[in-house]
Amino acid sequence: MRLAGTASLLASSLVGILGAQAPSDTWRTYGQNSQGWRYSELTEIDTRNVARLAPRWIFQTGLGGGFQTTPLVFDGLMFIAGPSNHSWALDALTGRPVWHVRKAPPPKLNLCCGTVNRGFAVNGDKLFRVYIEGTLVALDAKSGSTLWATTLADYKQGYSATGAPLVVKNMVLTGIAGAEFGTRGFIDAYDVETGKRVWRFNTVAGEGEPGRETWAGDSWKSGGASTWITGTYDPELNLVFWGTGNPGPDMDGDVRRGDNLYSGSVVALDADTGKLKWHYQFTPHDVHDWDAISDPVVVDLTLDGKSVKAVIQANRNGFFYALDRTTGKVLRAKPYTKVTWADGIGADGRPHLIPGQDPTEEGTFACPGLGGGHNWQATAYSRQTGLYYFGSSENCHLFFKMKQTLTAGEWYQASTVEGRPKEHGTGAILAVDPTTGDTKWRFDLVSTPSAGMLATAGGLVFTGDAQGYVIAFDARTGKVLWKFQTGGSVSAPPISYALNGKQYIAVASGGSMLAFALP
Amino acid sequence: LKLALAIALAGPFLTALTAQDNKADTSLQKNPFAGDAQAIEWGRVKFRMSCAGCHGLRATGGRSGPDLTRGTFAAGDQDSDLYGVIAKGVPGTEMPGFSDSLETDEVWRLVSYVRSLTSRGAAPIAGDAAAGEALFWGKGGCGRCHRVGTRGSSVGPSLTRAGAQRSLAYLRESVLAPDADITYGYATITVVTRDGRKIVGVERGFDNFSAQLIDVSGRYYSLQKDDVTSIQREYRSLMPLNYGRLFSEAELTDLLAFLASLRGGPP
Repeated sequence: MRLAGTASLLASSLVGILGAQAPSDTWRTYGQNSQGWRYSELTEIDTRNVARLAPRWIFQTGLGGGFQTTPLVFDGLMFIAGPSNHSWALDALTGRPVWHVRKAPPPKLNLCCGTVNRGFAVNGDKLFRVYIEGTLVALDAKSGSTLWATTLADYKQGYSATGAPLVVKNMVLTGIAGAEFGTRGFIDAYDVETGKRVWRFNTVAGEGEPGRETWAGDSWKSGGASTWITGTYDPELNLVFWGTGNPGPDMDGDVRRGDNLYSGSVVALDADTGKLKWHYQFTPHDVHDWDAISDPVVVDLTLDGKSVKAVIQANRNGFFYALDRTTGKVLRAKPYTKVTWADGIGADGRPHLIPGQDPTEEGTFACPGLGGGHNWQATAYSRQTGLYYFGSSENCHLFFKMKQTLTAGEWYQASTVEGRPKEHGTGAILAVDPTTGDTKWRFDLVSTPSAGMLATAGGLVFTGDAQGYVIAFDARTGKVLWKFQTGGSVSAPPISYALNGKQYIAVASGGSMLAFALP
Repeated sequence: LKLALAIALAGPFLTALTAQDNKADTSLQKNPFAGDAQAIEWGRVKFRMSCAGCHGLRATGGRSGPDLTRGTFAAGDQDSDLYGVIAKGVPGTEMPGFSDSLETDEVWRLVSYVRSLTSRGAAPIAGDAAAGEALFWGKGGCGRCHRVGTRGSSVGPSLTRAGAQRSLAYLRESVLAPDADITYGYATITVVTRDGRKIVGVERGFDNFSAQLIDVSGRYYSLQKDDVTSIQREYRSLMPLNYGRLFSEAELTDLLAFLASLRGGPP
């Protein structure tokens, strides 16, 4: 208690010294704005001077790695939601820790992909994050002390939580993970003050819900469709857009015949009630684990001379999509990587399937591979260039199917994938024109992409790679203007903030947080 | 400091207790699912999802895990040994323990599955391993690039555990058609320098901006992509392609008997 008190005083005095940051100097939500752009208006670091960018501080967490987090920065502090339920507040000027709290996860968690976490949300002095065992908590930003905690779902049934929450009005919205464990996904909204649930939208249509008929028998009960990446919000339409994951079991579609709504979809929900306004399913009856969880980015596009309210996504199934965000109608759909499962998207929005692409006991070769295409790593949209930036895997897999009996809470994938000998996945950073789906530039990667993206008004795009580099590109041309070897794999998206008039680029790498600035 | 010291002193005692507890669980125990068809099928599904990444989909050895179809295992041949390997892992190797994620019965079902593989894979190995060893270091010149234990070169992959890691069929293919599969991290890198020189070697590092390689003479290079005309990584081997002609079938059988006998642990 005494220690927490000291930390609290320290935090207050630091804020006092530094003063408030202007809104454009801060990073207060997962996608920088509620539309999910990851676009910083800061211009000090630009195409002419970025070559001189240098590390200003490095904070070593003491953990081995696994950081996928988007740090938040405001009031002179940086807030990090780390793996294994660790949280930190750092002084954003020096990287020195101000507070650190941890809630030890329970043993015997059923997790597909480690105890990762992707960040905080904030409302006033309250920080919100999920713990891996499926709880949503509110922490006091000044001290890290817990204000309330709410159980989202039972981890013993295979649920877990990894995504950054999203604050909408007086609610904090969160998704859930666990589609490989026979769970049933949802999107929840909770009161920011009390932690009481305001609404829930089930992403697998059950009894009495429209779409129930798209699940054979009782298969909806373990239908997956988890919601492990943060959605976006359009205040004007008062709609929340959220991507949903693969149906379960991943590769045996025989036990869940039908389209399997609302897996592999983006759903548009009324922010106040959680009621479904529309949905669009990118991959009906998916059998390749092609989640549709990537950030649904809210942008207005000029198409055929008219301004259109759109939501865009580089889907894991290999297609880029622009949808009308008032109706869910497809405006553009175009492959951005090698695709063997469909040769186009019809006027009715359904893919034109190519036969013989489904998993079999002997293995079926299909592209993209298990991870896509573009997977979960955060994307960026630059208002300056009008381009949409994301990492893409150049990868195919042999997809195997097996019969598996579901045991509650246990791994329920019904087989796996394998690469062909001498075929190793590579990748690329792509800049796509969202009005056409055309790739404007690409930077080839030696392995599949690992990190998220940041675009800035300095004409730059930042990302990282699996081998430890943080990289700055000219946003218009894709030319590499700067790089730095961090010594740890970069699996998180970079962010930007300004303090005392100086612009910083920050990103987690390995088990560290790094901040860069001009000399 | 005092607290740390107390934990340090108590440490070995706690470890001993834990080890004893584990031993009481499984040592000398019989597999309750031995030969059980349902358990074997459960194990097959589980193996594909949890084990195939290293041991291969057919358990004949993969990127880093040994061939499990031979009926003989480096860490002991009893069911209880197999149980221990799956539950606790093998120290000093890449094999992790799965006791955190698998229940006791599930480990036993996997043991049943691994046991069921033996009849399919275990062709007796013909050939004279001693004669094969002489060919390896002599006529074949294999030691110019490969290492066995502390002897040989480190340009190509170490073969110290080749017999434990790979099936006989895989070893045969590797000798006769080295390009068929490339051990992870041993691709061929070709660099063309600004003055037109070509440097060819085995990958030691490769990222988006640089490459590190070692040529067949053992010389090490590190090159930035910006400083050279081109850097290319190819999944082919620098190993000679003529072993099928160099060796008679009898010699090849002897060489394979030697390779299959290599089951040494990490030095």
